[in-house]
Amino acid sequence: MKTNPKPTPPRWAARLLQWYCPPHLVEEVQGDLQEEFYYQLEQYGLLRARLDYVRNVLGFIRPFSIKRRKSYSSNPFTMNMFNHHATVAFRNVIRQKTFSAINITGLALGMTCCLFIFLWVRDEKAVDNFHANGKRLYNIYQTTASNGNVTGNYSTPYALIYHSLTFNKRDEATAFSVEDIREVVPEVQNISSYATGYELPWGHSETFQAGDKIQKFDGSRARKDFFAMFSYPLIAGDAKSALHDISSISISRKMASFFFQSPQNAIGKSIRYENKIDFVVNAVFENISPQSSLTFDFLINWDSQMKQLEWASSVVLTTLEIDESANVSQVEMKLNRFLQSKRSKNDPEIVTVGLRPYGEKYLNSSFVNGRPQEGRMVYVRIFTGVAIFILIIACINFMNLATARSVKRAKEVGVRKVIGSSRFSLINQFFGESIFLSFFALIVSVLMIQILLPSFNGLTGKQIASPIAVPSYWIIVVCLTLLTGFVAGSYPALYLSSLKPVRILKGALRFTHAAIWFRKGLVCFQFALSIALLIATIVISNQTYYVQNKNLGYDRDNIIYITLEGELIPRYALFKERAMQMPGIVMVDRSSEAPHAMGFVVDENDGLKNTNTGDDAIQWEGKEKTASVGFKPASVGFDFINILNLKVAEGRSFSKSFATDSADAFMINEEAVKQMGMKDPVGKWVSAWAKKGHIIGILKDYHTNTLHEPIKPLIIDVKEYETFGVIMVRLEPGKTKEVLATLATLCHEINPNYPFAFQFLDQEYDKLYRNEKVITRLTNIFAVLGVAISCLGLLGLVMLAAEQRTKEIGIRKVLGATVANIVNLLSKEFVALVLVSFLIAAPISGYFMDRWLQGFAYKIELSWWIFGVAGVTALAIALLTISIQAFQSAIRNPVKSLRTE
Amino acid sequence: MKRVYLGEFEEVVLLMVAFLEDDAYGVRITHEIIQQTARGVRLNQVHASLHRLEDKGMVASKMGDPTPERGGRRKRIFTITAYGRQTLSEMKSVRTHLWNLLPSSMNTLAG
Repeated sequence: MKTNPKPTPPRWAARLLQWYCPPHLVEEVQGDLQEEFYYQLEQYGLLRARLDYVRNVLGFIRPFSIKRRKSYSSNPFTMNMFNHHATVAFRNVIRQKTFSAINITGLALGMTCCLFIFLWVRDEKAVDNFHANGKRLYNIYQTTASNGNVTGNYSTPYALIYHSLTFNKRDEATAFSVEDIREVVPEVQNISSYATGYELPWGHSETFQAGDKIQKFDGSRARKDFFAMFSYPLIAGDAKSALHDISSISISRKMASFFFQSPQNAIGKSIRYENKIDFVVNAVFENISPQSSLTFDFLINWDSQMKQLEWASSVVLTTLEIDESANVSQVEMKLNRFLQSKRSKNDPEIVTVGLRPYGEKYLNSSFVNGRPQEGRMVYVRIFTGVAIFILIIACINFMNLATARSVKRAKEVGVRKVIGSSRFSLINQFFGESIFLSFFALIVSVLMIQILLPSFNGLTGKQIASPIAVPSYWIIVVCLTLLTGFVAGSYPALYLSSLKPVRILKGALRFTHAAIWFRKGLVCFQFALSIALLIATIVISNQTYYVQNKNLGYDRDNIIYITLEGELIPRYALFKERAMQMPGIVMVDRSSEAPHAMGFVVDENDGLKNTNTGDDAIQWEGKEKTASVGFKPASVGFDFINILNLKVAEGRSFSKSFATDSADAFMINEEAVKQMGMKDPVGKWVSAWAKKGHIIGILKDYHTNTLHEPIKPLIIDVKEYETFGVIMVRLEPGKTKEVLATLATLCHEINPNYPFAFQFLDQEYDKLYRNEKVITRLTNIFAVLGVAISCLGLLGLVMLAAEQRTKEIGIRKVLGATVANIVNLLSKEFVALVLVSFLIAAPISGYFMDRWLQGFAYKIELSWWIFGVAGVTALAIALLTISIQAFQSAIRNPVKSLRTE
Repeated sequence: MKRVYLGEFEEVVLLMVAFLEDDAYGVRITHEIIQQTARGVRLNQVHASLHRLEDKGMVASKMGDPTPERGGRRKRIFTITAYGRQTLSEMKSVRTHLWNLLPSSMNTLAG
């Protein structure tokens, strides 16, 4: 026994005991068991003692010996440390007021930005996703391939809408093949067709009359399943009977209140449409929420559209409700098979259809290779990225300041480590501090959101409600705070806690090269992001300015236009005559489409070389059978050229003094001449549909739509008696108000059943760039924020550098350094960093801006001065920030800085 | 009056605590019970009832000095409280009273 080591109880049992036994009991129990073990050992020998020990350990697994006591913490030490850490963090915030302010401001700005973008993105994603059936709804999109071009849009091939009309020329109303789809594709449960009455190129607000009230509203036509498929709440009437026959109309609460005082009152009442058709109100729906991409104040039954109403555009949106268990790609296949059976075999175009979930239409509205892709989704992605970047910039501030300040905190870390703090506890402490700070920032940013939300809504054109009551908002807010705190605190926590106490306390703390490079890298990254944002904002603002102010080739100022409707159609000549006599009116003329946004193009997709049938709508002298040009046709009045100040390049413009001009004259633009390949075009014959005539003049190219679109071939002729289009009136500048009043009286007199409604041409043109404007404003704000936050961080770093080098500066001054020397000393390093970040940012942002500009047919050049301005601005702001602090420490009296030790 | 229930084993343990005075801790109590009553008692049972007694307020405890045979660990010394003492004496008097009710033959038999 003496030579052997002292026998011990089985180790595993001892461990087991230690594991399950609560801290307040473990000592006595272990002690008792061990004492018993040695007692047993003496009395009965080792084996018995060990067995007994094990039995005892197992026997102790009882509620009383497992349960942790609640009265005081199982680990009182950490509890105290929590309070302690909170105190230390708070004291640090108070002591370093400037740095805390910089940190909190930066983080708060970053978080506000993030939260705003979160709200915006959430709102964008919510569009069209509120329908109860949402998951089963699919939109049909069509892909058209011809002549090597593949295009697509959310419309429905004509063969699916009314093949009987186009191919059999029988009764228009019979056998719409959309109805047949349900038989051929059993997975399809419901079908909705939807077309607006107000979309370009021919749509406009439509006039309604009930009693003596007349008003214009924007509305659409829809198949009778519409309300059953979509969750637009009905206030009066029910979904089944809402659109059941050709005379039925459903109207919004707004419209019902206007005409019939209350929604309930409106049911069963008759309402007159465009002074020619009477509809019966069958249902009243709640005003359309901003989260619906379809907007309408009334819905007319689809049969009306097919039989008696004008089409506003060629776009028909078909939505299918598909059985949940159905395989979408199989449905697509069946649809295509059905479609091809309905289409003419000789058609040179290849048209196919596809299905896309209904909720994706809004964000994926542009088509690449005939398939829906991107669209607004791009902006959602870009802004999400920007939000993250701005938050990163703010986090980097925090990291940099914390590490730079760590010389001071290092002593604290050293002492803590010597006293016995574990690394884990130090990491906890620093994470705790950064999360503490980010909660401060959170409070600030939640307040800012509340205050700034109305202006944010104004900026983005949204109606986002205050998110205070939304739980998901708070979840995001808290997650964001924790994440920010975590990211911001990660480097200080890991770095500071790794310091060796002996070295710190000896006072020999030097930053390693890696640490310094890391910090510089972070500053570079920060500034690179800011400069990239600056470049983006300059490019986008410039492009937006460019598109709004580019000379379009016509004069759009001081022109209003009125839709040609009602009595104005037969009495246009009278209107023109009377209006021309009124003071303040320079000229009156007409056009089949509003000139700023002409959308109708014929023959565009024809001309597949082998199958071209040669039956294009537009023909001309010397046209080869295979040639094909997409024309924008328009019928105008005699003064069209003059009213818009268009330039004639060759030949002459329309004139009443030539008797043949109203029947025989055509004008085309230079682009048309180029694409037609015509030499000496004036005098040659052209034809548009049934009308044949001669080219009398060539127009200089002008823009007939936004600058997203290249100038297209244009062909115009005179038709003073066309039954649709707009009347344009050129006003004398400065007399707009009086002239509008007299025009209103005139319209009421000539066209009493329609309200007088007009648009300013220049304003309508600007509206086409609404998206670009929002983007411009947002990027401006983000760029300013990014630069501001980066500079805050820079300011902090310079302050620290100056503080750490107080003595050095003092000695330099004593030895004769000038203020300029010292400012130079302090700023040199940072200026170099800004320069490096410029070198990183310029090519990257250049690449992305170039891609953005690809979306415009006419665009500014990405010239060097844009980058120059961005770089110089960033440098100047950085220098200014740095020199404020550098100057302050440079003019300090060296006596003061050297006195203290 | 709310009577505190005291089990038979608890009573034995409580008596032992009173008897052992300053040396009343787990192992010692267990061994003493085995010696004095010749019943097979396990350490965990004694611990459990000691904790119950402490919850009921009949014993108080404090940590004693470390001893080498315990591997330098301290023991928990239990002492009986006034309330514990009172409960014991009450139980005893109730029992005596009940015994006195028995016919004398039984009394001698048991005695």
